[in-house]
Amino acid sequence: MNGFAWLRRLQRRSNTWMVISVIGALVALLPSLYILIGLFQKPNENWQHIQQFMLKDYALQSLWLVLGTGTLTVMIGVTLAWLVAAYEFPLRRLFSWAFVLPLAIPPYIAAYTYGSMLSYTGSVQVFMRNVLGWAPDQKYFDIMSMKGAIFVFTMFLFPYVYLITRSFFEKQSASFIENARLLGKNPLHIFFRVVLPLSQPAIMGGVSLVAFEVLNDFGVTKHFGIQSFTTAIFTTWFGMYDVDSAIRLAAWLMSVIIGVFLIERLLRKRKKYNASTSRTSPLSRRRLRGLPAWAACGFGAVIVSLSFLIPVLQLIVWAAWTYRDVLNAKFAELLVNTLSVSALSIVALMLHAVIAANVNRTGRSLFTLVLSKLISMGYSVPGAVLSIGVLAVFISFDEQLSGVYGWLGLGEGKLVLSMSLAMLIFAYVIRFLAVGYNAVEAGFEKTGNRYTEASRLLGFGMTRTFFKVDLPLIKGAVLTGCILTFMEIVKELPLTLLLRPFNFDTLATKAYQYASDEQIHQASVPSLFIIGVGMVSVFFYHWLGEKNSQ
Amino acid sequence: MTFFEMSDVSFHYDKGSRTVLRRFSLGLDKGESVGVLGQSGCGKSTLLRLISGLEEPVTGRIVIDGTTMVDARKFVNPELRGVGMVFQDYGLFPHLTVEQNIAFGLHRLSKKNRAARLGEMLELVKLQDYRRRYPHELSGGQQQRVAFARALAPEPALLLMDEPFSNLDANLRGEIRSELRQLLRAAEMTSILVTHDKEDADAICDRIVYMQANDEISQERNSS
Repeated sequence: MNGFAWLRRLQRRSNTWMVISVIGALVALLPSLYILIGLFQKPNENWQHIQQFMLKDYALQSLWLVLGTGTLTVMIGVTLAWLVAAYEFPLRRLFSWAFVLPLAIPPYIAAYTYGSMLSYTGSVQVFMRNVLGWAPDQKYFDIMSMKGAIFVFTMFLFPYVYLITRSFFEKQSASFIENARLLGKNPLHIFFRVVLPLSQPAIMGGVSLVAFEVLNDFGVTKHFGIQSFTTAIFTTWFGMYDVDSAIRLAAWLMSVIIGVFLIERLLRKRKKYNASTSRTSPLSRRRLRGLPAWAACGFGAVIVSLSFLIPVLQLIVWAAWTYRDVLNAKFAELLVNTLSVSALSIVALMLHAVIAANVNRTGRSLFTLVLSKLISMGYSVPGAVLSIGVLAVFISFDEQLSGVYGWLGLGEGKLVLSMSLAMLIFAYVIRFLAVGYNAVEAGFEKTGNRYTEASRLLGFGMTRTFFKVDLPLIKGAVLTGCILTFMEIVKELPLTLLLRPFNFDTLATKAYQYASDEQIHQASVPSLFIIGVGMVSVFFYHWLGEKNSQ
Repeated sequence: MTFFEMSDVSFHYDKGSRTVLRRFSLGLDKGESVGVLGQSGCGKSTLLRLISGLEEPVTGRIVIDGTTMVDARKFVNPELRGVGMVFQDYGLFPHLTVEQNIAFGLHRLSKKNRAARLGEMLELVKLQDYRRRYPHELSGGQQQRVAFARALAPEPALLLMDEPFSNLDANLRGEIRSELRQLLRAAEMTSILVTHDKEDADAICDRIVYMQANDEISQERNSS
């Protein structure tokens, strides 16, 4: 009798939603598969050379970047999270969201801003020479180095650690901390013996996001001249025109990422365990007085200045010098390009996210588990790796479709898809699907399954239920997903740089192009637009969090 | 003749987890009202979710009015079973008004018939004056009546009620129980009421079934 159980299961599960999400998942998987297959292909001569002389250096440089940034973001992010969550001090409320603002500034913009500010002709040294009459040694200003890159990454990525850890402190640690306080432990002891060990999964969750961002980066390392894995992929691809070796490098990097990804998942599992066992009463804050209060406030002020105020003010000054030259018809075209490619990508992405999330919540099975893992995987594949995979897939599409193109009168052997905007949109969807998906999933979790079940018992199938009941209830979550992905797409650099059609510029690629042409001052205008979009998203996100907690 | 029959139904949530139901059987005649009594966690709510098709049993068979809803090789989706359910927390759509909630399941009727049926239901639960209110603007008792009207409006073959009184004040309960009994009788509705409160079942049902956690045997008893 059990032999027919699969038939019954199919009757219950098979529907258009499932089919679409299966196809979507498979298509999204193609580029990564293409890359991983590269590991098993026979290497060419060039690879011998790369392996012998370069691979170890690439790997080491990337490793130092990740380790250095990881350690510092944990130190700063966790300290700030603890201060904001457990103490009351001057300007605390302002800081609690100001610490998120650095996320609005893409690290590559910060890199050329700081790089230029600290150069011999930059504002810092000019001020010292002309106003203070002091000409210090150049070696103190060498930000275009490994240390400088770690500084930039730390200052603009620590909010990931800060955000996740703070919400853990605020929501889940209260009973443990209060118990420790009642048991007479001093604050330092509580922090190191109770808070840190407890929040380890949250911290690891945040720091793995930081690691993914560092490995994804192209702009900072390129501008500072650091040979990381990602810049090596670019060099091999565009410098040596050796796509096979570039794919092989990408495959190596991807294996490492999968490793990091699996570790992060394991740690997340523990986090879930923590959440379900502790009471969720908020932590009551202790008021700091005197010197400690001002020290906390001062520390916050230094961080906000370095990670937001100083670079933004500098960009505003530069923009004031150059906006007349930059803001012209060409710039309007940049805006239109950025908005249109974002809008198209967001529509495709959110459709996919909503379908996958709806399938995932209705029937939990091994398939839906794999589906959700695949979706969150896209975010951890570095842009350079993903873009090679996407390009390879699209070129092979074009080869397959060559006959069709001929029949349509476009000419045999033409590259149609791989020269079009579709390729970039496809890559955005894969990379940022997790962002939209998580927002939609949170919306579904908040509304629960009750209304959907009621609707189905009243005679509506999955699709009509979705439009009549689910969608009206989760539209806020869908809007959140749109805004967050919009911010990600507007500031995205490596994918856009590699996969855009010929002569198609966005705000991000233009800012990068100005910066790499040593026109740093001109770069400030598109950069400020990108930061503006980021700030709107950060404010919106913060507002939403406040609204939810009320 | 048996109108509703479930035989040898077993169920557990995930592979390897505790069995919630083991070879459970239950039969109802047309127009009969049965109360299922048991402590929380014994699988009462799961029973209703299995009957309505929100969950899929591991083994067993469920037949409603001569149509097999689920057996080893067949599974009918919940929207095609013609089963009405009143949820413990009512599950009224928060974005729809009272009349939109009640008319929700009437999509198969013509516009004219739909309006007529809606009017009937509003009258039945005495909520004509509240038709344009949203669920959060109603009292608990009113919400519960909307939930009943919504479940009964499409004339289901079988009505399932999951602890429908648990959110009501004690002084409201008595009144609503007797109203409900009359309502079910008038509609000749076959129904299953799940509750932990024996008084609820005594007041409404023709027969009571006791359920115990992990128990394969169900005791039956005729109430007065």
